Amino acid sequence: MPKLGCLSKIIIAVIVFLVLTVVGLLFFPVPPPEVHLEAESIPGLPFFITNTLLASLLTILVLVVIFFTATRRMKLVPGRWQSAVEIVFEWVLNLCEENAGKENGRRFFPIVATIFFYIIMAALLSLLPGFEVIGYGHPAPPEGVPGAFAGSYHGWIVDIPLLRKANTDINFPLALALVSFVFVEFMGIKTLGFSRYISRFISLGELIRGLGLLLRGKIRLGISAIFMGVIELFAGLIEIISEFIRVVSLTFRLFGNMTAGMILLLIISFLTPWVVGVPFYGLEALFGFVQALIFAGLTLAFAIIAVTPRELHE
Amino acid sequence: MDPNAWRLLAAGLAMGLGALGPGIGIGLVGWGALQALGRNPEARGPIMTNMILAIAFAEAVAIYALIVAIILAMVVRL
Repeated sequence: MPKLGCLSKIIIAVIVFLVLTVVGLLFFPVPPPEVHLEAESIPGLPFFITNTLLASLLTILVLVVIFFTATRRMKLVPGRWQSAVEIVFEWVLNLCEENAGKENGRRFFPIVATIFFYIIMAALLSLLPGFEVIGYGHPAPPEGVPGAFAGSYHGWIVDIPLLRKANTDINFPLALALVSFVFVEFMGIKTLGFSRYISRFISLGELIRGLGLLLRGKIRLGISAIFMGVIELFAGLIEIISEFIRVVSLTFRLFGNMTAGMILLLIISFLTPWVVGVPFYGLEALFGFVQALIFAGLTLAFAIIAVTPRELHE
Repeated sequence: MDPNAWRLLAAGLAMGLGALGPGIGIGLVGWGALQALGRNPEARGPIMTNMILAIAFAEAVAIYALIVAIILAMVVRL
């Protein structure tokens, strides 16, 4: 074959794209998607197991297999698989150590890395074929379900898929957010000691100083100090509220992004022919990575804030 | 108007108005990041990392609005 110039390659790519689009339009209709926000349980089992639980168990299995085969015969000069895993591992370790310092970074690393790998593997696994298209359902009615364009769909309509993206169950991000919350508080209390850590939230120092000044007779200084003390008390209460709001915001950020991505992919594959959905697929993979990074990075940032003693804060 | 019409209208308004603020916010973050990058191209790593972090924060608010819109449009049956 003669060497193809740049222009001919572009023309061939456009022609292939158009042919695939037309083929998808005519021959592959897709039934309209039904979206449930809550995860569905697999029918026929004696206890309540949701399809997102199956997907997260699969995620755990895949992660264990990956890291087990990487560390099975660890050598000082690593082989291929071990180097590949080491690249990702060291990247997360650098993230921790750069932001938290060397020893704090090592202490925060296990939980931050677990959260990161769990979320990103759950997000990436759900892009494999087989998720959300294999499951319990009913055959299409004899006249077929009309697709978005020409043709009607005569196959199997899935009501309850067997595997669903693990992050789209609200319990999954909620559990991770609670773990991150407990981890941050625990690190703060362990590093600073209970009373110093609590003094960030309930700061009675200024109030007591103001009362002391009042009792000693310096009225104006006392009143201004009491005023500052009340303001600091309010600031502490707002800090407590913001600690708890973090759980909610972490949960909904991850859940919302992943659910919106899943719905987007379902609707794009319904509305547009075959090939046009591929850029959205890549976007979904990117979003999975970014959201995992955000969750783990925010946990790390909150832990660093919790561990820093108050004087250095201001 | 029958209640389903109100429900769908509410879903559309929730997402539309809820995306105004984050859209402007993300644009501002991008503007700041590009300015910083233009002044100091060597600090590309930290600038990009912090920009992505700030964009995710701003986008989360839009996602909250999206959740409300999805619940109104697809989960509530009147």
